[in-house]
Amino acid sequence: MPFVSNTLRPYLAAVRSTLTAVLCLENFSSQVVERHNKPEVEARSSPEIVLNPLTISRNENEKVLIEPSVNSIRISIKIKQADEIEGILCHKFTRFMMLRAENFIILRRKPINGYDISFLITNFHMEQMYKHKLVDFIIQFMEEVDKEISEMKLSLNARARIVAESYLSQLTQTCELIPGHKRNFSNFNFLNKSKVLSYRNFRISEQG
Amino acid sequence: MSYRSTDVDILDEDQLFQHELFTFAGGSELEPDVALKNVQAKGVDVRNFLTRGNTEKALTTAIENPPYGSNTTDAKDQNTKIVMEVLNSLKATDVSSIVKNLTLDQQDILMKYIYRGMASPELYNSAVLLNWHEKLTEVAGVGCIVRVTTDRRTV
Repeated sequence: MPFVSNTLRPYLAAVRSTLTAVLCLENFSSQVVERHNKPEVEARSSPEIVLNPLTISRNENEKVLIEPSVNSIRISIKIKQADEIEGILCHKFTRFMMLRAENFIILRRKPINGYDISFLITNFHMEQMYKHKLVDFIIQFMEEVDKEISEMKLSLNARARIVAESYLSQLTQTCELIPGHKRNFSNFNFLNKSKVLSYRNFRISEQG
Repeated sequence: MSYRSTDVDILDEDQLFQHELFTFAGGSELEPDVALKNVQAKGVDVRNFLTRGNTEKALTTAIENPPYGSNTTDAKDQNTKIVMEVLNSLKATDVSSIVKNLTLDQQDILMKYIYRGMASPELYNSAVLLNWHEKLTEVAGVGCIVRVTTDRRTV
């Protein structure tokens, strides 16, 4: 769909340039408590070191909130969820990752209210990792997560179809053992009747 | 009891507050209704420029003297609406040339409004704003974004 990619490209470009701009972090100890060194975007110990938050949105369902501060930034992503299945898949997927947050280093254990997943980058991460690679990682994550969820949705639907088919084929077998099964069939409105009939005919011919 | 959640630091005389982070141009904040009236007058001018086809002048007027401070929420909303009207009415092909002609301060204010518009995607068209953001970043660079995050005079 060309329309989608048309808005996806400037969306990701905006996130990229904003992240590049705000990822200017330095080591900064707490001004309030001695020997504390905490991400100020979380601690919010004084107002002058927390900067204005920025929002970048593609539409109502897809947006990114970037909250910069002197020694840390918090990036929260709202992932597209077109229907209930995508909502469930997205929740499971993000939960799976957030339970293993220490393996992802910059992942936050809980998302910000109203968003699906949050990252917390501190000055210590910036010392260990390259800035451009960090930005690339976030952008790549945003690209991949949509793909991942729609793929999972497809495979889930395919699985559901196979399960339903095998379950219902067993059901038709049982139905045949019951006398007067024709009456029973008429109750299963959701069954594809021609399919059931052909299956029954096949069974009869097999026996005969 | 709730003494644990009491912010004792607020009694410190060195404590800095949000409203002390910037000064107003006139020395003090405008009254909310005065600010709203100013913005409404500006809106009339902008609409006149737009009907005459002078889009560039309309944009510079719209982002001129934006209301800021903590009490002027209505005026801010109104001004955002005006700026978004102008941004939506301009052709996508004209964007880069218009952005190039803006001064540094105007670019910063425009960037503030672009982010402000994107913060409420249910009201304003994000696709248009993303296009403006891209063009403006090309011209003004990431420094413009840094100035938006650090400037306490939020629009």
